[in-house]
Amino acid sequence: MSLLVTVLAFALPVVFVLVPLAIFLGYSFFSVDQGTIVYGLSLGNYVRFFTDPIFLPVFWNTIVLCVSVAVICILLAYPAAYFLTTLKGRWRYALLMLLLVPLLMSYVIKIYAIRSILGLNGFLNKALVALGILDQPSTLFVFNMNAILLTLSLLLIPFAILPIFLSLERIPQTLLRASDDLGASGWQTFLRITLPLSLPGVASAASFVFVLAIGDFLTPQMVGGISGFTFGRILYSQFGTAYNWPFGAALSVALAIVVICAILIGERFGRNRGTSI
Amino acid sequence: MNALPRPSTIFLAAITTLVAVLLYSPLFVPIVSSFFTISHGNVDWSSPTLSTYVALAENHDILSALRTTLIVGVCTVVLSVVSGTLLALYYHSRRSGRSFLQFIIFLPFLMPPIISGLALLIFFREIHLERSLLTVVIGHTVFVLAIVYRTVLMRLQSMSRTLVEASYDLGATGWQTFWRIILPNLSSAMVGGAILAFALSFDETMITILVTGTQSTLPVRLWAMMRLGFSPDINALVALILMFTVLLCVLAARFLIPRQMATERT
Repeated sequence: MSLLVTVLAFALPVVFVLVPLAIFLGYSFFSVDQGTIVYGLSLGNYVRFFTDPIFLPVFWNTIVLCVSVAVICILLAYPAAYFLTTLKGRWRYALLMLLLVPLLMSYVIKIYAIRSILGLNGFLNKALVALGILDQPSTLFVFNMNAILLTLSLLLIPFAILPIFLSLERIPQTLLRASDDLGASGWQTFLRITLPLSLPGVASAASFVFVLAIGDFLTPQMVGGISGFTFGRILYSQFGTAYNWPFGAALSVALAIVVICAILIGERFGRNRGTSI
Repeated sequence: MNALPRPSTIFLAAITTLVAVLLYSPLFVPIVSSFFTISHGNVDWSSPTLSTYVALAENHDILSALRTTLIVGVCTVVLSVVSGTLLALYYHSRRSGRSFLQFIIFLPFLMPPIISGLALLIFFREIHLERSLLTVVIGHTVFVLAIVYRTVLMRLQSMSRTLVEASYDLGATGWQTFWRIILPNLSSAMVGGAILAFALSFDETMITILVTGTQSTLPVRLWAMMRLGFSPDINALVALILMFTVLLCVLAARFLIPRQMATERT
């Protein structure tokens, strides 16, 4: 009876999660010959990934891009999260909700709207021209890496706010009061107490945002144009136009390794230490 | 937090306002545009109109995509709530291999959706399952399962052990305890999880693009249309979807935040 229950509990997750991922991993060692998949093991895909002059630079650029997205998100989210914790009671959570609700709004629609804001004829360019900052609409924010950077940052800020807010909220008031009693200024208290104790939240936030950004291919596809090629787009194209599933699977393995590393680093530094008083 | 000096408070409030504006501007642009006509990329502010909403009601492409999305959403909710609850109960009963099981459940949520989607795509091909709405439902269920599971498990763990013990003391059987004590206590977490699952399924695009057959869900349809540029009735659709999502959020919050806590904190 007990064994049956165990088998039943494992059946669904194993069949639909573990087995597909295992097959996927296996595929990365296959190859393609004239449009059909050859089921023979080889390291060819991985060799190609490391030796072909196209893939590694794009891979590296995408990592840099996603780290930048994480940095931008944290620079904006930290002050906002800090401001939330200075509010009292009902306001604190109402405002938190307000900043998190956009998460559940349609992703595709947001990308589209951001594109129309950033576009050559978009609101941003119109505003900059109207304010006299630019003489004519700039192509700086359309169909390139900047557009991807800005769009991803806008989409992912809420994911940075939540963990930072939670870690700030968990800092015991007694520590802050003690610091105040011992004569520290507001800045000193912030730099020596609040900031170090909130760093685990910052680490989780950075890891969240990075992982979500690097796995995305909708945003780059939509706002990246020809010059905005990211790893996600290359990966996706292997399954579409290029029709090289084994190579695509190998690229996914590379992506998965980076994601796992990011999650582990986030975990390692994201644990709240010293706040459990 | 200690009281901050005034300039810092103003600075922080300004950044927070900026973040709110940044987050909401992509939501407001289509809503505002839905009430005006646009020609050659310029909005005609002089004449508010509902014509985009009328056009939407006649757009069969979109309406059928909407129907598909709802069908997928409902199936996903049923499957993920039933299996998520059962898996949470399994974990809670401290049987063997439970942390490994939990790890598998969380995997699709931690992995980028593109990897989960591609893995399923290859899997369906290997077992010769044609891409259809069934494969979409499976993809969505695998993806949202972690959320439902976690929501239910958290409620289970916060549930007092004494309730179950009292039930046994009073002579109830295992099934009676389950139906009369455990399930009613979990119900609001299950409803909250169901709403979150529906919201996630309603918006899921990346996995759907990869595993869908001929019928596409709304986000996938929108995604395909956007490459060519939009017809104005899409703005109306966007406005409606956004209102619908806000409603879902409010509902989810109502079921997931315990009443007690909500009153305590005010």
